[in-house]
Amino acid sequence: MTTGAHAVHDLGGDPAGPVDREEHARTLFDQRVDAMLRLLAHPQKGYFTVDAMRRSIESLAPVDYHALGYYERWLRAVRQLAIERGLVSAAELEQRMTQIAQARQASPQNMPGQDRQ
Amino acid sequence: MTPGSRLAAGTPVRVRSGDPRTHCRTPHYLRGKCGIVVRALGDYPNPEELAYHRPGMPALALYQVEFDSAQVWGDRLREAPYRIVADIFEHWLEPAGAAG
Repeated sequence: MTTGAHAVHDLGGDPAGPVDREEHARTLFDQRVDAMLRLLAHPQKGYFTVDAMRRSIESLAPVDYHALGYYERWLRAVRQLAIERGLVSAAELEQRMTQIAQARQASPQNMPGQDRQ
Repeated sequence: MTPGSRLAAGTPVRVRSGDPRTHCRTPHYLRGKCGIVVRALGDYPNPEELAYHRPGMPALALYQVEFDSAQVWGDRLREAPYRIVADIFEHWLEPAGAAG
């Protein structure tokens, strides 16, 4: 028998509206996240696999899973896996994010990634 | 199915029941359902292992399995019956006669 509760991504059979088949323009943010994944998951680097990406995305809290956009989920997973694999620590990431935020505040026009929300 | 066994097209199978909390490629709505092997797709490292940075070897056979939507959805089916085809790894399949 199928089970009642299931993982957040495993949607088959759930009530749902029509599928959105529109193409969406890729933003610079989307492309950067895609590039990060491709470099880190490239077989010659092999820091993690697309399977690990999927596992990480599927482990998001349901509220985050539904609220985040497609590439925002990817970014969360890349962040988690980079930490899991010891490429960077959570503290280093936070420190760098703070630096970027401060630099942006000081000189907003010079910051890359203006398309990010 | 026994690892290493090869299922021929047309073999009746049942998808194992189970509700793992770990990474799993077998959709929940097909677990415990009976289907028919369409074809073997080849052997692949186990994604349930790859997902945790493990090698996923030995590789597992992956099969295309078809299901009858009426059997899968029962009285929840809202449209004319159709064929559901899913890719399912061998360790999720058992002989169709076995108890689920």
